[in-house]
Amino acid sequence: MADVLVADSIEKIYGEGDTATRALEAVSFEVAEGEFASIVGQSGSGKSTLLNLLGLLDTPTSGAVTLAGQDTSGLSRRQRARLRSDTIGFVFQFHHLLPEFTVFENMTMPLRISGQKVGDAERKRVSELLELMGIGGLEKKNANQLSGGQKQRVAIGRALMKRPDIVLADEPTGNLDTANTDAVYELFRSINEELGTGFLIVTHDRGVAEMTDRILEVSDGKLVQDVRNDYV
Amino acid sequence: MLALTIAFRFLRSQPGQTALIIAGIGVGIAVQIFVGSLITSLQDDLVDSTVGSSAHITLLPEDDGEQISGDLAEEALRQPEVTTAIPVRRMSGLYVSGDQSTPLSITGGDPEDIDSVYGLSERIVDGEFALEDGQILVGTTFADGAATGIGDELELVLPNGEPASFTVAGIFDLGAAAANERLAFVDAGSVGDALGLGDDEYSAIEIQVADVFTSTEVAQRLESPGVEVVDWQAENQELLSGLAAQSGSSLMIQAFVLVAVALGIASTLAISAVQKTRQIGILKAMGMTDAAAGRIFLLQALILGVTGVAAGIGLGYLLIWGFSFAPVDFDVRPSPALIAISAAIGVAVALASSVIPSRSTSRVDPIEVIQGG
Repeated sequence: MADVLVADSIEKIYGEGDTATRALEAVSFEVAEGEFASIVGQSGSGKSTLLNLLGLLDTPTSGAVTLAGQDTSGLSRRQRARLRSDTIGFVFQFHHLLPEFTVFENMTMPLRISGQKVGDAERKRVSELLELMGIGGLEKKNANQLSGGQKQRVAIGRALMKRPDIVLADEPTGNLDTANTDAVYELFRSINEELGTGFLIVTHDRGVAEMTDRILEVSDGKLVQDVRNDYV
Repeated sequence: MLALTIAFRFLRSQPGQTALIIAGIGVGIAVQIFVGSLITSLQDDLVDSTVGSSAHITLLPEDDGEQISGDLAEEALRQPEVTTAIPVRRMSGLYVSGDQSTPLSITGGDPEDIDSVYGLSERIVDGEFALEDGQILVGTTFADGAATGIGDELELVLPNGEPASFTVAGIFDLGAAAANERLAFVDAGSVGDALGLGDDEYSAIEIQVADVFTSTEVAQRLESPGVEVVDWQAENQELLSGLAAQSGSSLMIQAFVLVAVALGIASTLAISAVQKTRQIGILKAMGMTDAAAGRIFLLQALILGVTGVAAGIGLGYLLIWGFSFAPVDFDVRPSPALIAISAAIGVAVALASSVIPSRSTSRVDPIEVIQGG
């Protein structure tokens, strides 16, 4: 399978001179299409920094990130925004829905931002995704009328709207109770199996990481472990 | 257009704040329109009462005792700005009653000509506008003082010392006590006979122009040898400098109102930009460009500006309508040009005040927003 995401010796240093802090050091790995992987690490280990670099939200101090076959070093802010919106779906700890808009509008927002028309096909996709996530029929509800679990599901649905190659999820269940956490991971798994979407989930919880097929462990800014879950 | 939709939703999500700022812009624009219209109408009124029913430019013989030709009126009419140019004959007359005497400045001319400058036919308050041989029109103040009425014989002493008798045909009100006391009108022949003038001998040419403020320029073009040109603006310097001062202070008030409106919009939008930092960060994380995010606030400003200006125009008309009930002998007329300018400035000010909030959105870092919750 082709690699959807390649990190090649990426390094991130914050600040300059005496105050410089090395957040990541020579991290290299590849994620193949349709992989279901996790990045695990303690708080402050650099895992979120890594996710930001992989998601083109930030640029590495050195090294390169290749996304969907395209080397991203040297791309302008605009080009990175474009590539990000075409290939990556984001899910965060906080749902980040826009409270001024309905569920349908929130789900189709990434399409509208990239200038795509929202027609019958998109309407159908929204309702299919909502069904898949067990919250069918909520299209017209305002985002702030939903429960925490429902909001996170809408956020996941939004991440899937543009059929991304990979979903980057940063502590996606950090704000949910155990029942909802399990439900969200089952949902990720079924999306991965049914739609073939790759997942890279950042978590501090090893138990959560063990639900994925591959675990990348980050400690003190270095990649210290990269194992298939069968061997863990 | 997505930015417009988002701008609308942002405004709608804070209805109180939105209503307040629209009200603020509305009041500002209403004050602009009202003060501007008030000052313009007031000045038009003042100018009209000063020169509305008199000559704007007068051509006189350079030497006393000389006369000028009626042909000068024909020549003056060739100037495009000139609407009326009439030859008149003037003389003084003295009304003596007991041991009191009242001087009159008598203008003689063709009735139609006189009416075209002084608008007498519409200003007659008693009797009728008629200038047959031997008839005279006098002002209300004079008629009251001399206790004379329609049909009465008026005995005057002319400059040559001869007595003359006229029948009062009408009493006019020119809107100024001095004019109503001193001016009187008779036919051209009566003055010609009294002064012993030939057919083409006149005391003055009285001229009106379409725009009273072009009189100085026209007057310069009418200069010719042996003729003295009198321009109303040169004769009314104090009034004109008063009007200029009034315009200046009115402009200053309007400018400060605009500054207040601009500060109001800018601060509201700046607050809105802070309140919506999270949303802007989310939109950027989903791929929205800095320029598109900045446009949201530009469009918010445009919506606020246009709505506020529309409300302001409505409120301005309401104020002008309300003023019509004030116990003053004066009407405020809304000027479409002034309203158009106020509206354009209002929208432009709104757009200009979105610059800072629009810029601040480009500094919103999506990472901080999405990780900060």
